Amino acid sequence: MKKVKIAIALFSVLLLLAGCTSAKQGSGTTPASTESPSAPTASAAPEESPAAAKVLNLGKDVELASMDSAIATDGLSFEVIAATTEGLYTIDENRVPQLALAEKVDLSEDGLRYTFTLRDAKWSNGTPVTAKDFEFAWKRLVNPETASEYSFIAGVAGLKNADAIIAGEKSFDELGVKAVDDKTLTVELECPIPFFNSVIAFPSFFPVNEAFLKEKGTEYALTPEALLANGPFKLKTWEVGGTTFYLEKNNDYYDAGSVKLDGLNYKIIKDTQQSVLAYENGDIDYVALSGEQIASYQQSPEYHSVLTGFLWYLSPNQKVPGLENINLRKAISLAYDKTAVVDEILKDGSIVADFVVPQFLATGPDGKDYRETAGSYPSNNKEEALKYWEKAKAELGIDAIELELLFEDTESATLVSQFIQSEIETALPGVTFTLKSQPKKNRVELMYNGEYEVGLTRWGPDYNDPMTYLAMWTTDNPNNFGKWSEKAYDELADRVSRGDLASKPEERWEALKQLEAKVLEQAVIFPVYQKGNAILIKPEVTGVNLGSIGGSISYKLADKQ
Amino acid sequence: MRNYVLKRLGLAVVTLLVILLALFLMLELMPGSPFNDEKITQAQRAVLDAKYGLDQPVFNRFVHYIKAMLSGDFGVSYVIQKNMPISAMLEARLPVSIQIGFQAVLLGTAIGLLLGIVAALKHNSFADSLTTFISVIGVSFPSYVFALALSYFLGWKLKWFPLLYSSAAPFVSTVLPTIALSMFTIATVARFTRSEMIEVLSSEYIRLSESKGVGSARLIIVHALRNALIPIITVLAPLVVALMIGSLVIEQIFAIPGIGSLLVTAIQINDYNVIIAVSFLYSIMFIAIMLAVDILYGVIDPRIRLAKGEKHG
Repeated sequence: MKKVKIAIALFSVLLLLAGCTSAKQGSGTTPASTESPSAPTASAAPEESPAAAKVLNLGKDVELASMDSAIATDGLSFEVIAATTEGLYTIDENRVPQLALAEKVDLSEDGLRYTFTLRDAKWSNGTPVTAKDFEFAWKRLVNPETASEYSFIAGVAGLKNADAIIAGEKSFDELGVKAVDDKTLTVELECPIPFFNSVIAFPSFFPVNEAFLKEKGTEYALTPEALLANGPFKLKTWEVGGTTFYLEKNNDYYDAGSVKLDGLNYKIIKDTQQSVLAYENGDIDYVALSGEQIASYQQSPEYHSVLTGFLWYLSPNQKVPGLENINLRKAISLAYDKTAVVDEILKDGSIVADFVVPQFLATGPDGKDYRETAGSYPSNNKEEALKYWEKAKAELGIDAIELELLFEDTESATLVSQFIQSEIETALPGVTFTLKSQPKKNRVELMYNGEYEVGLTRWGPDYNDPMTYLAMWTTDNPNNFGKWSEKAYDELADRVSRGDLASKPEERWEALKQLEAKVLEQAVIFPVYQKGNAILIKPEVTGVNLGSIGGSISYKLADKQ
Repeated sequence: MRNYVLKRLGLAVVTLLVILLALFLMLELMPGSPFNDEKITQAQRAVLDAKYGLDQPVFNRFVHYIKAMLSGDFGVSYVIQKNMPISAMLEARLPVSIQIGFQAVLLGTAIGLLLGIVAALKHNSFADSLTTFISVIGVSFPSYVFALALSYFLGWKLKWFPLLYSSAAPFVSTVLPTIALSMFTIATVARFTRSEMIEVLSSEYIRLSESKGVGSARLIIVHALRNALIPIITVLAPLVVALMIGSLVIEQIFAIPGIGSLLVTAIQINDYNVIIAVSFLYSIMFIAIMLAVDILYGVIDPRIRLAKGEKHG
């Protein structure tokens, strides 16, 4: 009996302890957050500040991964970096690069040397933004010690020696960028790059203050205190592992007069159901929709769909017996109804893709969107498909073929794959598809290694030029999953990016169209759709630039009534 | 007793090491890398692997990890918050999870006990049926169903409580997640209390006390409940484990910056160091609970003790 009493006593103590700890934790969270100097304002300011404050509340479903422009790789990080920092150019709502921190630019006659003159601008600690900040940032980007996942973009921009530095053949100090004085930056290129201005608007090319970075050491960009801003907003609070972060208006920004908002309050909500509820509740002004939610909000005036640059396509592996046959590939590419995919399954503003280079990606020397003049290609034609299938059967000496369709295990990819499977099997008797669903990381790895038959995959643009897609089907490109290869294609692609055509914009533009035509004629890939994003924005919010393709969402001119 | 505890502690440490090794080996088998597999080239991948030491054989990494861990270094995050030390992330997130966990245990035990006692006293009444109903619902529905229902009715319709966690209001904003998380505890505790109380109430010593004229409140609380509580200790461990698992989903739903939501995110994107650190933390908590319960058993019933030769009276 005595033991029992002890046990009871122990249990009550446990309960009591639990109570104490709970109370301590409860009150403890507040002091804990007070310790980080800016935290208390974190959630208090946006919600409880006087009515005068104009704060946009944004719901996002991923963490802010990095505020370091050389380290960041994801959309949200780039969005927030772009809200706090400006580079030489920004991309406007018509997808045209506009001078930002650069006031003036001179291009040498051979197209190989840019000289930028910088405007007067300050970092948020009061030091001026100088040409040295650009030189430092760009060299840091390609420095192997930085281990940037985006270092390749320096090569895309054609910076002198960039590719050699990344390959480890030259020192990062030899990159073709130099601060002549505080206001003058010269950039040397390997060859003329027609889309240079839009590439360097990308956050990887934003300036970084060397003295500040060195002072912060490994802490750099990990906390609001270890960050500088020169853009419309600055990061005010960002709790370690927190689910909110807050950007306030940067009064030191050179164009602060155009900024109408007092702040941006980001909330990370992983559960899509809950984030829509929070939107309905008025906790957030912006939310992304997914799956079933889209259909129920489509008629709402607050519904918007934003076309992204992501192209979803099927990649046939040319090493798989049967798929080397062009008639079989053409048969499959014509056998499924893409309109049903975007209208019945996705319903998020995605559009049918009968092309390789997405809409609104790139503007040509004629000032028109590439798609306007690039011509159109057959979409879905089941009769034609059947004819090609008959030809393929004769050529291959088969009656039937069984193929495996690899896709990732998301809701939309699964539904799209199942639909395509049934479409093809109905249209082409004898063709059977087995479905193979894998986590995304695994799907990418299998395709990278060529261990697949037909795969549903996607590609997002790195810069506003058709080559961000068309380079993929050159023989040595690692993203040429299907291993299609043609010498003439490789040669033309080379001339377009590095060769004689690089400095002849009109001829180059025509050559790009030839490349695309080749990809589609050869059925190197089977395009499915260009992705749209469905979002809700409160009607009182105006002026948000929802992001041109390849550029980030911009809140600089946003307002809230 | 001391030997018994030491032996259990030693066993716990070995178990933790085995778990850690298993985690390393499992991560080795995971497809892809923590990096942007869609875009990076082999050369870039090699640079990144070298920078973070991922090019080393798995056993070397394991040994290195344990050495660093002993000095409080859990490595840095590769994806969720790039280059942020994981110890800092855990320091910020662990208290939030613990707070909600304890709130749920407290609330669950209190309400569970209350329901159980009332049901036992009013055996076969409406209150009893209601308790049984709540128990069945609480055990059979996963916590996220409650989370969604609570968010919808109490959060959105009635606007009584916030839908999302806010560090400025750490109590009010954790009311809904606490209730959602405690439903399983309420159900389990109510069920056990009810059946134990019914048994105790019909025992001879209660009848004796009753006939001696002990007041009914005192009778229930001091005499009956005390004895009915003992078996509840046996469900303590599974309950806390259920809470830990429930927190993975609940934190995700209410946007709570705890370690549960951190683990879910990390697994989806291969943030190796975060997966290891958080799974390891969960293992420690799990083993600590088991250890505490084992020791409590030893205290309650000397026959369970493995150590011999100790005197007790």
